[in-house]
Amino acid sequence: MQVGKMKANKENTSNTRTRSRVIWVTLAVFLIAPHIISTPLTTEILIFGLFALGFNLLLGYTGILSFGHAAYFGIGCYGCGIAVRDFGFSIWGGLLVSIIMGILLAAVIGAIAIKKKGVYFAMISMAVAQMFYFMALSPLKKWTGGEDGLKFIPKLSLTFPFHVDLQSSFPLYYFVYFVVGISILVIWRILNSPFGRLLQAIRENEERTIASGYNVTMAKFVSLIFSGLFSALAGGLFFVYLGYGPLQTLFWLTSGTILLMTILGGMHTFIGPVVGVAVFLYAQNKLSWTMERWELVVGILFMALILIFPEGIVGTIKVKYLARKTAAQEVGEAE
Amino acid sequence: MELNSTLLINQMLFGLALGAVYILMACGLTIIFGLLDVVNFAHGTFYMLGAFATFVIVSLFGNFWLGLASAVIIVGLVGWVTETYLIKPLYGKDPLYPLMLTFGFSVAVTDLMRGVFGTVGQIVPLPQFFSGSLMWGGIFIPKYRVFIILLMLAVLIFLWYFFKKTNLGMIIRAATRDSLMVQTLGIDVPRIWTFGFALGVGLAGLAGGVNSTIQSALPDMGVEITIECFVVVVIGGLGSLGGAILGGLIIGQVISFVSLFASDWSNVAIFITMLLILLVRTRGLFGEAGRL
Repeated sequence: MQVGKMKANKENTSNTRTRSRVIWVTLAVFLIAPHIISTPLTTEILIFGLFALGFNLLLGYTGILSFGHAAYFGIGCYGCGIAVRDFGFSIWGGLLVSIIMGILLAAVIGAIAIKKKGVYFAMISMAVAQMFYFMALSPLKKWTGGEDGLKFIPKLSLTFPFHVDLQSSFPLYYFVYFVVGISILVIWRILNSPFGRLLQAIRENEERTIASGYNVTMAKFVSLIFSGLFSALAGGLFFVYLGYGPLQTLFWLTSGTILLMTILGGMHTFIGPVVGVAVFLYAQNKLSWTMERWELVVGILFMALILIFPEGIVGTIKVKYLARKTAAQEVGEAE
Repeated sequence: MELNSTLLINQMLFGLALGAVYILMACGLTIIFGLLDVVNFAHGTFYMLGAFATFVIVSLFGNFWLGLASAVIIVGLVGWVTETYLIKPLYGKDPLYPLMLTFGFSVAVTDLMRGVFGTVGQIVPLPQFFSGSLMWGGIFIPKYRVFIILLMLAVLIFLWYFFKKTNLGMIIRAATRDSLMVQTLGIDVPRIWTFGFALGVGLAGLAGGVNSTIQSALPDMGVEITIECFVVVVIGGLGSLGGAILGGLIIGQVISFVSLFASDWSNVAIFITMLLILLVRTRGLFGEAGRL
């Protein structure tokens, strides 16, 4: 009994260590990646990677599917854009506005729908996202620019702590890298805290977690807030990267794409979503020009993933790796 | 704008015809959800397929009724195949998987249809006997809208008869409540599920066929109506047929009146209605009705 417990403990710490190593490796890869593949593409991978991590905090860890995460991304994008364009905020101020908008939206959706069963929450979140899409499209046209998106943005540059010109691609990339890198570390810290463990307990067995005396509704609510926060921050970065705010950020397909990318990488792993984003965006970048029916491919890929590889790329590798490790351990013990 | 009772009644009838289409859709969604516990994200896609089926059959044979009937049959068959090969393997897994799968299905099929029919809208010509309007006092209502309302009523009566009076309907109701028990009684429940899915999407196909003379058929029209349909069932309370009907009526009126007074907000209004209703009554109007 005692031995078993100790073994489990040891396994747990070694697991955490491998995972933290994965993060440092990822950050190192992204440090040099723009010099190897195109800089705009890597910038996009970083931004959508953050979006996917925020999304997966909810899907993979708490086990809640939000089918309207475009709302957070889009509101972050528009929030930052309007703050910078119409209110003269700095970039940092704009990103702060993004974060606050994300938190507020998550709080509203959470207050209305967090107690609902899975599919019900998915439907409500999707409807709310669609509402924002239509709002940006016509009634609020005066501010959002309707179909054209948020335009007439002054040239963006950073003045604090030192001057960075965000018009050229490398400084822009490392600015995004800095923000996303810190966010990744923060998300990792959250998910490896007792609170993060609580979220996974909810995913695995909600009734049991309630019976253990945890306030499950509150935990879900807070995880939605975190998820909204990082997704909106990604939206703000997307605005800084593009220099304008496209209406597509609020479109339902954005919600679907982030879900696809997350599953592709592996929703039950920490870094999986980033891998999924990288693979998807790279493939899209290389193939969609030559392929007329890209969305058909995406749809079929989606179905194939759900039916055959629901654990995604990293998840499948992890399962294989763990299986081999336990097999090796058993052999070792037998000897 | 001068407000008078004629205008209001006109607008109400217009909203009723609009609501009738939502009711057909939402009933299909509810049957599928009640029986299979699957939220069919591709519901609007089947609606779109119904519109195209009607378009193709009407342009081939020139018969509107044949077009409507084939919309139900073709879409029902597509649904049958979809359920058998794509959704069946997911039973017993995470309930979110079918939702994600039907999402992928809708993206793929929409793009496939874009490849086949292009992105130009195809409209089915209104049959001769439906053109023109009925005049009634000062009230003036297109014949076709009357037909849609009557058709919706006929479908509802048929569904009521089917679920209450026929053996198959009874089995479906029983399987909705407790499928394991029904299986124990020697009934092939997976077959019933497949049938229920085909029936549900068949209703969506009918809605698409009916609307194909009003709204031109476009591959991209599916998802929007799926989300509107979600709003309808969330308002009514997921899983309740009565709720789907009431939700459809409400949404029809909301769209009709808001587009009269503030056309900019007509798309947004239904979502605001949903949020307001959820604030007052979190499980929807008829929520928790355990029966179909």
